[in-house]
Amino acid sequence: MKFLAVVLVLLSANVAWAAGPSAYEKGSFGKIKIDLSNRTSLQRGAKYFVNYCLSCHPAQHSRYKRVADDLGISEDLMRNNMIFTEQKFGDLMTVAMKREDAMKWFLGIDPPDLSTHVRAIGPQAVYEYLKTFYIDETRPFGVNNLHLPNTAMPHVLVNLQGTQKAVFHDETDENGKEHPVFDRFETLEPGTLSEAQYEQVVVDTVNFLAYLSEPAQLVRKRIGIGVLFFLVVLGALSYFLKKNYWMDIH
Amino acid sequence: MSGKTGGLFGWIDARFPLGKMWREHVAEYYAPKNFNFWYFFGSLALLVLAIQILSGIFLTMHYKPDAELAFASVEHIMRDVNWGWLIRYMHSTGASFFFIVVYLHMFRGLMYGSFKNPRELIWILGMLIYVALMAEAFMGYLLPWGNMSYWGAQVIINLFNTIPYIGEAISEWIRGDFVISDATLNRFFALHVVAMPLALLALVFAHILALHEVGSNNPDGVEIKETKNADGIPVDGVPFHPYYTVKDIFGATVFLAVFSVVVFFVPDMYGYFLEHANFDPANTLNTPEHIAPIWYFTPFYTVLRAIPDPFGGFVGMVLSIVVLFFLPWIDRNPIKSIRYRSALFRINLLVFVVTFIILGYLGLNAVTPLYSQLALRFTELYFLFFVVLWAYSRPHGAVFWIGSFVILLGGVTLYDVFMNTSEYPELIWKTWIIPAAYLVVTLLLPLFTNLGLEKEVPARVTS
Repeated sequence: MKFLAVVLVLLSANVAWAAGPSAYEKGSFGKIKIDLSNRTSLQRGAKYFVNYCLSCHPAQHSRYKRVADDLGISEDLMRNNMIFTEQKFGDLMTVAMKREDAMKWFLGIDPPDLSTHVRAIGPQAVYEYLKTFYIDETRPFGVNNLHLPNTAMPHVLVNLQGTQKAVFHDETDENGKEHPVFDRFETLEPGTLSEAQYEQVVVDTVNFLAYLSEPAQLVRKRIGIGVLFFLVVLGALSYFLKKNYWMDIH
Repeated sequence: MSGKTGGLFGWIDARFPLGKMWREHVAEYYAPKNFNFWYFFGSLALLVLAIQILSGIFLTMHYKPDAELAFASVEHIMRDVNWGWLIRYMHSTGASFFFIVVYLHMFRGLMYGSFKNPRELIWILGMLIYVALMAEAFMGYLLPWGNMSYWGAQVIINLFNTIPYIGEAISEWIRGDFVISDATLNRFFALHVVAMPLALLALVFAHILALHEVGSNNPDGVEIKETKNADGIPVDGVPFHPYYTVKDIFGATVFLAVFSVVVFFVPDMYGYFLEHANFDPANTLNTPEHIAPIWYFTPFYTVLRAIPDPFGGFVGMVLSIVVLFFLPWIDRNPIKSIRYRSALFRINLLVFVVTFIILGYLGLNAVTPLYSQLALRFTELYFLFFVVLWAYSRPHGAVFWIGSFVILLGGVTLYDVFMNTSEYPELIWKTWIIPAAYLVVTLLLPLFTNLGLEKEVPARVTS
């Protein structure tokens, strides 16, 4: 009967695990433009990624060597500046942290693998997530997030961005219930970077993560143009061949 | 190429009917000369089958059917295997294109009456291919072991739970476990790469053999075998080779261009061919926000959801597929082609196509009160199509048209009065207009207009 109940729930409503009313307008913090042809941006993004993300988030389907090859980073540079563990150049970008420890530290959440998760949620989500941390003393790490309310992740870029607080006002919905709606952020303490510099850090990081979620993007469109060109020529030839054969059929 | 040829070919031909098969099925298989655009999709289905088998073989060399390794092995193919991403995208895109091509191929059959005497068995074999293809696609979808693979399979297999008494035993038997697990993944892999492809190839072989036994239909629905010349060759036929081989090569090239646009430029097709949630690994604790089957199953999924009773929904979904098998005995009108059938037949067919697309759209989206009523209405239209199709088999008097109108609309209304569970009466009567209008057009117009008039079928093909 348990399964029957599961079926009923899944079929009847397509359960939406919504996190309440959206507290802010998606996209109101700007739209990320992914530019995989900007190699320096990807390289900077790779640097930020290994410095700020990779200690907890694995990219376990990607290899250091592949990233180095794709982004034009030399083996020495990679070894000396981007591989902090005993790992080899050809190894997968895993983390040393034990899964059980991660679960303990991050409120029972295993930090998702960033080589695939970004493709599931899309780069825009990561972009908004990294820009909307704010001080909230009720949370274990002292910060909350507008994009992902009650996030389990600390604000790892706080030294760069500085701290900000979120200002909300209450709005009444059609059912007479009051909801906090996001107004604006107010800077409390500035970080080491200016607002524009922090924006660039986020853009570079997300750009790199977009690359990392599907490295084949770097080549597939270029190859596709060649394939299409070949098929157009073949199509024209086969069209005239067909026309020629069918000339005498009326 | 007679048996007298010398050389290697002659040696083989004396021991194996190579030349005979070539002549019977290719060089001297006379196909009607008037095939149009819609006749490309048979050979294209064969092309996609070849793409799937070839790309599938290479995927199998690197894929690991193990719950611990499957997801990572697919990413390994995408990143570390040379050209692995291309092979994988060809296979995933090929799955969706298989259904696009097959749906167009089936629609061709509906338009030109290709399922009618003497081609009933070709249609039934084709339907068996379609069902086998659905099973093949469903089992293949579990293999990447993404979160949507897992939860999608969970939902679909749990459908069997709704069968009274034996349901849970059946779904347990399918899974090989109490939940979807490594055991399920292993058997789905075996079925996906060995059992179903074998069945598909055998059925395709039989489908083509049966076609060549009776000969191809054509856009005029005229039997070309009825007009032969002195040599016994159909006057309106051309040898399949070289005429249709060169034509199909052109069709295949155009198809491959469209296929390549998806493979190289939008391989996930905005989440329709590769669902976004499937880039996260299977997680028993984390249900995706919105579980929808992949697009080619969604019309039937909507039928399932349109009926509130779980077992009733399951039966409705099965019936929506089973009814197609009986098409040759539902549409008994002697005129095959849409060209010579009534305007009302065309309207009916058009409504059916639109209905199928809307059912598919509804199945991709979460249920709202409006969508659930629309799902019910278009499910009603889906089944009413076949009743109307049957009614159009031969001329009827006023009593028949009015009587069937009253009975069918009465049935629809009675369902609303006693069984419609919607909490919004306004939605019920507003959407009630959809089947009502459909029945007015299809069953009452023959009485007052000449839209039911059929045209005379020519003795020979027209173009």
